[in-house]
Amino acid sequence: MAFEDEMLALLPRLRRFAQALARNAADADDLCQSAIERAIKARGQWQPGTRLDSWMYRIMRNLWIDTARARTRANETFVAEEAGAQVGDRGDRGIEAAVQLDEVGRAMNTLPDEQREAVALVLVEGFAYKEAAEILDIPMGTLTSRLVRGRQTLMEKLGEAA
Amino acid sequence: MIAPETLMAYVDGELPPLEAKRVERAIAADPALAEQVQRERRLREQLNARFDTVAAEPVPDALADMVRGADTVVSLDERRERRRPFGGHWYRNAAAIAATLALGVIAGHTLRIGGGSAGGFAMHDGRLIASGQVAHALDTQLASSQPHDATTRMLVSFRAKDGSYCRVFEMARQGGIACNDKGDWQVRQLRGVAGESAADYRQAGSSAGALMADAQDMMAGAPLDAAQEKAAADRNWRAR
Repeated sequence: MAFEDEMLALLPRLRRFAQALARNAADADDLCQSAIERAIKARGQWQPGTRLDSWMYRIMRNLWIDTARARTRANETFVAEEAGAQVGDRGDRGIEAAVQLDEVGRAMNTLPDEQREAVALVLVEGFAYKEAAEILDIPMGTLTSRLVRGRQTLMEKLGEAA
Repeated sequence: MIAPETLMAYVDGELPPLEAKRVERAIAADPALAEQVQRERRLREQLNARFDTVAAEPVPDALADMVRGADTVVSLDERRERRRPFGGHWYRNAAAIAATLALGVIAGHTLRIGGGSAGGFAMHDGRLIASGQVAHALDTQLASSQPHDATTRMLVSFRAKDGSYCRVFEMARQGGIACNDKGDWQVRQLRGVAGESAADYRQAGSSAGALMADAQDMMAGAPLDAAQEKAAADRNWRAR
C-alpha cells in the first residue's frame, strides 16, 4: 500500500521534473509514463522506509538520458535557431506574448543535458546539493560546477530579455 | 574574493554558518556581489514560476490509474473514494459557469444570443459557440498578420492537451479562449471587461494576462508559431 500512496503523492512533482528535463510537453508526458512503468516493474527493488522520491527521480533521469543521448546535437541547434527566429519576428503583440510564455523553457533547452539535470534537481525540484549529487551519481564538486555553468547561461539568456 | 561556486552555495543555503557570515559581510561591502545575488534569486523565481504550474495541475487520470493499478487488488469503491480528493476540479467548472453567466449579462446588453445577425456567441446544446463575426475571425484571422484595428484580435493559437486547436482572442470588452470542435468554435474561457475608461483598459491588459495563464494550463507543448498557425488555418483547424 505504501508504495502506491507515496507514488500518487509524488506524481505532481514527477511531472514537473519531467517538464524541466524534456524538450516539450509531449516528451514530458511520455517520459513520465515510461518512468512509472519502469518503477512499477522494479518496485521489488525499492525498500520501504527509504526515500521513494530519490529512487523515482533516478529512474526518470536515467530513462531521460537514454532517450536524450539518442538525439543529435545538430537537431538541437536547428530547433534553437528556429525558436530564435520567432523572437526576431516581432510583428504582433500576440506572437510576442506567446514567445514570452515559454522563454524559460527555451532557455532550459539550450543547456547541455548534464547542466540541465543539475538545474532541474536543485533549482526546480529543490533538492540539496548532496541529494542531487546522489541521484545523479556524481561527486559534489562535479554537481556544483555544472550548476554554476548552467545558471550563468540561464541568467544571461533570461536577463537580457527582462 | 568570493568564488562563483561559493556565492551560488550561499544563495542556495548550502554554506556552513561561519562561511555564510563571511559571504554576507563581503556582499554588504560590494554592490556588484549584491547585484549578483539578486540575479541568482530572480533566476530561481523565473524557474519556479514556469515549472511550479505543472506541479499544481491536476495529474492526468491515465498516469494516476497506472499507479493505482500497481497494488494487488483494490475494490472499485475504494478507488472511487480515493480518486475524490484529487479529481473533480470543481473550481474550474465553477469558473467556466461564472464566465458563462457573466457573458449572459453582457450579452443581454450588447450581443444577441442565438441568431443575431452581427453575431458573437450563441448557446447550442448547453455549449457556448462563437458565431458571426467572431467565428469568422477565429476561422480566418492569423495572429501574425491581422490588421491592427481588427475588432476581434487573435493573441495566441495553440494545441490543447486533447489535440484540438484553440485560440486566445480579445475584443474591446471581453477576451476568451475558443477551441475548434468539428468546425464549431467552442468557447472554453471568457473574461469580460466592463466600461471603457482608461483604468478599464489597463484591466483589459491584465485580463489578457489571466487568459494567457489559462492558455498555458490547457496547452500541449508550445504555442503555434506563424507557420504552424497558418498550416492549422489551412486545414480549417481540424485536429488530426
